Amino acid sequence: MSDRSLDTAALCDWLRDLWMVDGDQALTVEIVAESTAGARRRNLVIDVHGGPRPGRFVATVLPTADIAILSMADEAIVRTVARDHGVPVPEVIGVCLDESVLSGQFFVSEFVDGETIPRRLLRLVHAEGIGERIVGQLGAGFARLHAIDPALAPQAMAAPIDPVGAALEAAHLVVANLLQPEPAFSYALRWLREHQPDEPSERRIVHADVRTGNVIVDRTGLRSILDWETAKVGDPMEDLAWVCTRMWRFGVDHLTVGGLGTVDTLRDAYVAGGGSWDEHRFRWWRVLVTMRWGTGLAGQAAMHLDGRFSSVVMAASGRRVAELAYDALTLIDAT
Amino acid sequence: MQYRPDASELLDAVASLLEGDVIAAVPPHLQHQVRVAANLCRVLQRESQLGDVNDAAERERLASILETGDHDDLSSLRAALTARLDDPAPIDLVLDRSIRATLLATLRADLAIAKPGYDTSTGEP
Repeated sequence: MSDRSLDTAALCDWLRDLWMVDGDQALTVEIVAESTAGARRRNLVIDVHGGPRPGRFVATVLPTADIAILSMADEAIVRTVARDHGVPVPEVIGVCLDESVLSGQFFVSEFVDGETIPRRLLRLVHAEGIGERIVGQLGAGFARLHAIDPALAPQAMAAPIDPVGAALEAAHLVVANLLQPEPAFSYALRWLREHQPDEPSERRIVHADVRTGNVIVDRTGLRSILDWETAKVGDPMEDLAWVCTRMWRFGVDHLTVGGLGTVDTLRDAYVAGGGSWDEHRFRWWRVLVTMRWGTGLAGQAAMHLDGRFSSVVMAASGRRVAELAYDALTLIDAT
Repeated sequence: MQYRPDASELLDAVASLLEGDVIAAVPPHLQHQVRVAANLCRVLQRESQLGDVNDAAERERLASILETGDHDDLSSLRAALTARLDDPAPIDLVLDRSIRATLLATLRADLAIAKPGYDTSTGEP
């Protein structure tokens, strides 16, 4: 960060307005850490001294509004709706659309202590023996999220009429525009077309990126689900499939759900929470999201090559495409 | 022909430098990138050893499945199989199985370069 004092002064004024704190009352803000875990957003951990609600918070800043998937305002709404329905999400206490305060739009939410970094998180979970408990909590959380009336979602999250067909069409477009033909993806697409399930009877709010890496965990279990910028109205089974993608197991491959626990535990908790599990749809979405992430990695390689985002990490993504193509085909092989 | 060290040996030297002295010397925000760069050297090292053999085997598999006598270049063969798969015309079950087995064999060979051991994991995909 270039100028922490400037950030702090402007943020302090914004909090005074938010909480209607008089000028003669003491209120100070201290930035205690900055995390760059998310590639696109800055997370500032801040301590607030004085005012009506002293304590530790997180300011999530989007440096450039045009790279938003869901706007900061809409993300704050969907986080609040999910939290109000019992999904573990840090409470949002305010949204700021004035980009001058922190060099970008931001929202401030409560700070939840715990581990987020995948390999450290998995070490903690397995040292404590709480993997299955966390998977159960994820299943229950999904059931609560998917039970919410989608009319409560922001307008920008409006459902495609056919989430299954739309996902297939989008995948088709991406595969057609790869830098070089990839027959494994064409094979997977063909299989997806031939096994396309009916559209879901109910479209629901889905997070679309719950995985190891987007959750906070401590010794007691799951504390929070983070990063709601991909939330949309769609097919609930997409959420349940994505959390099982092998890349999010970080080497703990025998535990299908994020290297944490088993699909049986996820399914049981989801159904016990009132969710409706559709095995055929689940398997279809597993192939689709696996293939889609493979094309996403191919897209990162393309962004390096055409100069949109030149980086050795993005370049290296091209050499990871085979992992996802292999996973997609072995998933098909197992059906 | 170049004098020794060959490509694989040079990449090994660069990877060792990155993994050792360089990673210890760079600031934390660069360490991940250096680690990735070192890993890419290892990938290229394996590619220099296995790449030609893998490509020849893939060419052979694709020529067989596409029933083409002329051994075109690998890119054209991959494009031809992709076009066949993109064509909605039915593919009978036996051919479908052969195509899948062919693709999996190629992906295993790719993984032997890019991520050895990935295809022998005991978990489900």
